[in-house]
Amino acid sequence: MSREGVPLKLDFEPLKCVACGLCETVCSLNRDSVLTSMGSSIILHVDDKADYFGLVLKTTGDGLVLARPEGPGAPQQPGSGGPGAKPILLREPCDLCGGAPKCAMVCPTGCIKVVD
Amino acid sequence: MEMMNGRIVALDLSSGEVTETQLEEDIVLADPSCVMRTDAIWKEHGEDSVVLGTGLLTGSLVPGACAGVMAGETGIMPIMGNFAVEMKLSGFDFIALTGKAPGPGYVWARDGIIEFVRSDAVRTLDSWERTDRVRDDQGDRRIQVLSAGPWGDSGNPCAQLVNCYWGGEDKAGLASRLASKNVLAVAVRGMGELSVVDPEAHFASCIELRSKVVSKLGEPKGLASYFGPAGRDDLAALVHRHVACFGCPHPCRTFAKVAEDPKQMALSHKEPGYLHYDVPGLRKAFEVGLDARSATEVSMMCARMGAEPVAVLERASSGGRELTPAIVRELLATPWDMEPLPAGRFAGGFAIDRALAMGLCPRLWAKAGFDTSAIMPCVESAVGRGVPL
Repeated sequence: MSREGVPLKLDFEPLKCVACGLCETVCSLNRDSVLTSMGSSIILHVDDKADYFGLVLKTTGDGLVLARPEGPGAPQQPGSGGPGAKPILLREPCDLCGGAPKCAMVCPTGCIKVVD
Repeated sequence: MEMMNGRIVALDLSSGEVTETQLEEDIVLADPSCVMRTDAIWKEHGEDSVVLGTGLLTGSLVPGACAGVMAGETGIMPIMGNFAVEMKLSGFDFIALTGKAPGPGYVWARDGIIEFVRSDAVRTLDSWERTDRVRDDQGDRRIQVLSAGPWGDSGNPCAQLVNCYWGGEDKAGLASRLASKNVLAVAVRGMGELSVVDPEAHFASCIELRSKVVSKLGEPKGLASYFGPAGRDDLAALVHRHVACFGCPHPCRTFAKVAEDPKQMALSHKEPGYLHYDVPGLRKAFEVGLDARSATEVSMMCARMGAEPVAVLERASSGGRELTPAIVRELLATPWDMEPLPAGRFAGGFAIDRALAMGLCPRLWAKAGFDTSAIMPCVESAVGRGVPL
């Protein structure tokens, strides 16, 4: 997907995430015209007791993009059940909402951004 | 019906029988208050019942559309976080619990199914362990659980329901009401969907409304945005992250870590601290002289036991003794020693106002100002017409 010929992608600042869940909901709304989190290409991974949360985006070109609070280079903690959980593998990849990603528009903190 | 399932379900805990009643769209839209409807359903099913309700806008894109309510003989409480959204997406707008289960266990609602799951083991667990157990048993970490801890089980009027792991909503003594029915937890998971009349218009109108709301609120500072003392230095030093309820642009929940470095971002300690949003509880902790670390530790202990912290701290600090977490721990081990608080003690912990009636966060909208003309385009795009707000 592109905007005036420039390829677009989503970029994340995970520490800005507040786990509001709106990105999941608007993704499903755009795809299926209903409010739910079940059809989204982006999922919020939450381990609420540990206050650990981040985002997982299923893309066409880059596979699963993980937005983890500890940063992209940190190893996954064993047994954490962390980002990359199974359900997203069964979902449709992000189509960038046809060039105007709604998750970026609805994100209240700027955690999700569109970059060229 | 847009934004609703159109279903009221009653679960007779004595027999396990489930009865459904259709919720007529015209009736809902003419009088959309979920607070009033929950109260009416409670009266219909008798004073012994406990009723959970969701609002017309719960789960919508309207800012702060996270709220639900629970009503019982001792009062009514808001339900925040993600519970009400998950409940609505489980297929039920209102859940009435009647009778008494033959033994301890938990109510489990998902995919349009509701049942009582017998579990003697749950009674031996504190509220945190109950949430963990239900999630493990049902195999989903996003199940939302309202649970009574040992204090609720004992029938203590100073008990509180805990929302997953955190306390702050139940200032109505409903933990003991549920436990008296052998319901030690209520668990919900929503994999359903809610339709809206015009998805594009709903999205656009809610984005516009969000901009107006945010412009009135200033920089988000977690709980300190709503309760100044939450910004004091000793608590600020413990802050890990701020956490929103569903759909909130101005989160009021602040996680304080006491068991590891607050700057630790990777998942390491499984129980590192506490999510503060209980303003009366934190205010009381500071009033009795606890520092932020001790206040956080006490909040964790009270939540695990299902004990309401204001009542606990009042009792623990009586006689003017210097309060420590150890004293509170000792008190929490003897819930039967607590005297009932005067009737009405828990009333008014949260404003039961127009925002909550629609399924919106009363705290957010009290600060932003409940502007019906600004909200109405979001309502119309969702349900197809205006409603009395």
